[in-house]
Amino acid sequence: MSEDLYDVAIIGCGPAGLQAAIHAASKKARVVVFGKPRKSSLYKAHVANYCCYEEPISGKEILEAGRKQAENFDAEFVEEDIIETKNENNLFSLVTESGASLTSRTLVLCMGVSRKKLGVKGEKRLVGRGVSYCVDCDANFFKGTDVAVVGNESAAVTGALTLLSYASTVQLICRKLMVIDTLHDRLRESQVKVVEDTWVKEVIGTDEVEGVLLKNGDTLNVKGVFVELGAKGALELAANLGVVFDAETFSSIETNKKQETNIPGLYAAGDIVGQPWQIAKAVGEGCVAGIEAAEYAKKLADS
Amino acid sequence: MGTGVLDVDDNNFESEILKAEKPALVDFWAPWCGPCKAIGPAIQEMEEKYGDSIIFARCNVDDSPNTPAQYSIRAIPTLILFQDGKVVDQVVGAVPKTSLESLVQKVL
Repeated sequence: MSEDLYDVAIIGCGPAGLQAAIHAASKKARVVVFGKPRKSSLYKAHVANYCCYEEPISGKEILEAGRKQAENFDAEFVEEDIIETKNENNLFSLVTESGASLTSRTLVLCMGVSRKKLGVKGEKRLVGRGVSYCVDCDANFFKGTDVAVVGNESAAVTGALTLLSYASTVQLICRKLMVIDTLHDRLRESQVKVVEDTWVKEVIGTDEVEGVLLKNGDTLNVKGVFVELGAKGALELAANLGVVFDAETFSSIETNKKQETNIPGLYAAGDIVGQPWQIAKAVGEGCVAGIEAAEYAKKLADS
Repeated sequence: MGTGVLDVDDNNFESEILKAEKPALVDFWAPWCGPCKAIGPAIQEMEEKYGDSIIFARCNVDDSPNTPAQYSIRAIPTLILFQDGKVVDQVVGAVPKTSLESLVQKVL
């Protein structure tokens, strides 16, 4: 990853992100794609309803082939999650989980949708009473208290590290950590206590969180439980940029037919834009977003 | 048509919300909070629709820490519906618009 400016940065390497990369890179835009292929919902799937493939095809094969196609057009791939986005002076700046940063003239959001809740006893009842889904939003309410973070990936690890500046103790509950080495090292060198090989069975408390019961039988006495599953998603990365979400559920990003959001230079494609959550739709939207982003970047570069 | 979402703080919370004649829906938010930004337009829209009978207000938890502490707020956005100085109900997070609708229906 080079230090200078990209034309098109794409978050997410599922079908929408790959198709956006192929089209943008084939238009000679300088393209970088972020994300972990194994995290795409397509990775473990077999696809039987995608046009022109009569026999079911493996999602893994589709993803690998798409990446090669994009790489043949000189798109770069970085297998890291993005943990921060900013929009300044018509440019987007991004920070990866290893702490690397870069800027791009356009940004295409293709990070899909993922489960954010644990679905355990006590969780729903204690939302806002110690259960939180957003470290960045709520860390400040837990100054000087003992807290736990739940999750295996970059959102949980970066969230736990952030909480060290607020809480008096931070424990990270995970089955097995799946983050890149540099982030893992930062965690190991930190004061975060990692509770590995287990998961949350129940959030305990009557009017507010008093602790968590783990599947291994242990109980942690904490005042706060931050559920941070997977990588940071649309609400964390896009809402901060001022993106308009769908007015009914705030769960998908609003775009027009050019896949433009309300922010100039910012595009979205695939599941994050709404249902149906299908590869065919993702590929179509990715195509449009890639072409539009490349053209926008070129105009910006020429101006 | 209402008069816009009112900004309230620790100093005027009592006079503007608790002692108000109308019920009030207060959005506890902060500028760095993504989900707060996401629901902002929906709250403005509700204000345009119901602003004649309900006060729609927002309280920045960063500038005004005392009021959120008084209501034990530990997550934002939290939306609390007040009537006659008392809490009628509250919701936490970027909840669907239907949940916001059923919340305000409680005082209409």
